[in-house]
Amino acid sequence: MSEPISIRGVTRRFGRTLALDTVDLEVAAGEFVALVGPSGCGKTTLLRIAADLVAPTTGEVRIGDAPPAQARRSRLLGFVSQRPAVLPWKRAVDDVAFTQRITGRRGFAPADLLRDFGLKGHEEKRPAQLSGGMVQRVNIASAIAHDPQVLLMDEPFAALDEMKREEIGDWFATELQVRPKTVLFVTHHIDEAVILADRIVVFSAAPGRILEVVQVRRPRPRGPEFRQDSVFVETAAHIRGLLFARGGVPA
Amino acid sequence: MIEVPSDPTQQAATALAAEPAIRREDGARRALGLVLRIVAPLASILALWYLAIYFSALPAFVIPRPERVLQTLVNDRSFITVHLVETLKVATIGFILSNVVGIGLAVLFLAFPIGRQIIMPAAITLRNMPYVALVTVLVLAFGDSLGSKVTIVVLAGFFPVLVNTSRGLQAADPVALDRMRVLNASWLETFLHVRLPYALPFIVSAQEITGSGSIIVAIAAEWMISSTGLGYIINRAMQQYRGDQVYAVAFLAALLSFGVYALVHFIGERLNWQSAQTDRA
Repeated sequence: MSEPISIRGVTRRFGRTLALDTVDLEVAAGEFVALVGPSGCGKTTLLRIAADLVAPTTGEVRIGDAPPAQARRSRLLGFVSQRPAVLPWKRAVDDVAFTQRITGRRGFAPADLLRDFGLKGHEEKRPAQLSGGMVQRVNIASAIAHDPQVLLMDEPFAALDEMKREEIGDWFATELQVRPKTVLFVTHHIDEAVILADRIVVFSAAPGRILEVVQVRRPRPRGPEFRQDSVFVETAAHIRGLLFARGGVPA
Repeated sequence: MIEVPSDPTQQAATALAAEPAIRREDGARRALGLVLRIVAPLASILALWYLAIYFSALPAFVIPRPERVLQTLVNDRSFITVHLVETLKVATIGFILSNVVGIGLAVLFLAFPIGRQIIMPAAITLRNMPYVALVTVLVLAFGDSLGSKVTIVVLAGFFPVLVNTSRGLQAADPVALDRMRVLNASWLETFLHVRLPYALPFIVSAQEITGSGSIIVAIAAEWMISSTGLGYIINRAMQQYRGDQVYAVAFLAALLSFGVYALVHFIGERLNWQSAQTDRA
């Protein structure tokens, strides 16, 4: 089963800089929540706190009813980094399998996952032999290979071209129907957030504070036709309004 | 004017016929390049050598002719071989221990950062102490023994290994380290699968320094304290005005040192993921 995420009064300082200012957020089990906001607003920091890569200065995060460190030890977490975390000497298929070897969990068959991400025929290649977008797709596959219950994704599709971005977005939308997971998803792409997420958390410019939590009033999964839907248009416009009104340019 | 065959198959045939000719030319050029790469350095060294003899007007026991040195290498081969084996023994053991100490300390510092604060000042002090002083103490303590000579080689050799390995172990991509942490990998798994492979190119370049250095330092140690080894031959030859022998040993040592460097480099290239990475498919 997937686990809820509870973020209570989380702040984070780096030296004298306040990166996150008192963030409270409850994410239900199996819910998909996108985080949008201007660059440097602390979205990534919040994600890293949930992944137990950074400690909050004050406040706490709980995944299920335990701290992130416990979730990490129970191998509940999948963290998709913005910059690829693949190992340069490993072939794509070995890199995906490596995640399973370390976690001792066989989630997805590595070859199937790579095929789903459009990497058929590239399984035996190393990162230097692949394009930047392909490496990022291997990175996504490697990060989720053990089928974690909680997905923490930091601009996972930023390096992908528009077509692959939609394809892989669709893959996640479908996959989450079959095997629900709790997702925290950082993105700069408002349309993407509206298509994929149940709720979208809009952050202010630094120090990051939650401006508004926007509900997308249409159940998931949403197909390509959703882009023409009035709910899509209005929700996206509302988020843009929030971001631009505050002078925070969504980079 | 060049005649262009109008028939396409004929065109293809001409192209095919031209290809081996190009390849042959390529092969010849490569062979010439190889010869030049071997002959040119040898020729330049010999030319400088003869010029030095001619212009310096130094006696033959200070600067013997190359052919005389070669003759000595052949005539004294059994004598030289005995001592060469001694030198190789000191250098090899010293080289291995340099790595054990250097890599061992680097891993220790990674696992227990406090160790760096405790041990590093001592290592740097040892490093900066004049070897002659160390050698004197070692001889007083252990005399002319394998142990004292190996110790000198290790003292000279472990530091580059330590510094390079340490740097290499810190060179792992932080994103990859984050990945290992989120996956709850153990310290050993992270070390073996991420830190060590990232450190490998650094460790290899340390071997290039320490490998050839071990031979040179072993000879220097023998020269100072020993009655065996190539260093001892140089010492003895000097006293007997046998410049030819000094040169013969120097030549042999340089060759050996170069050979070790080449070997380490060759093995390193095969171990190095950075070079494996560039062979694009």
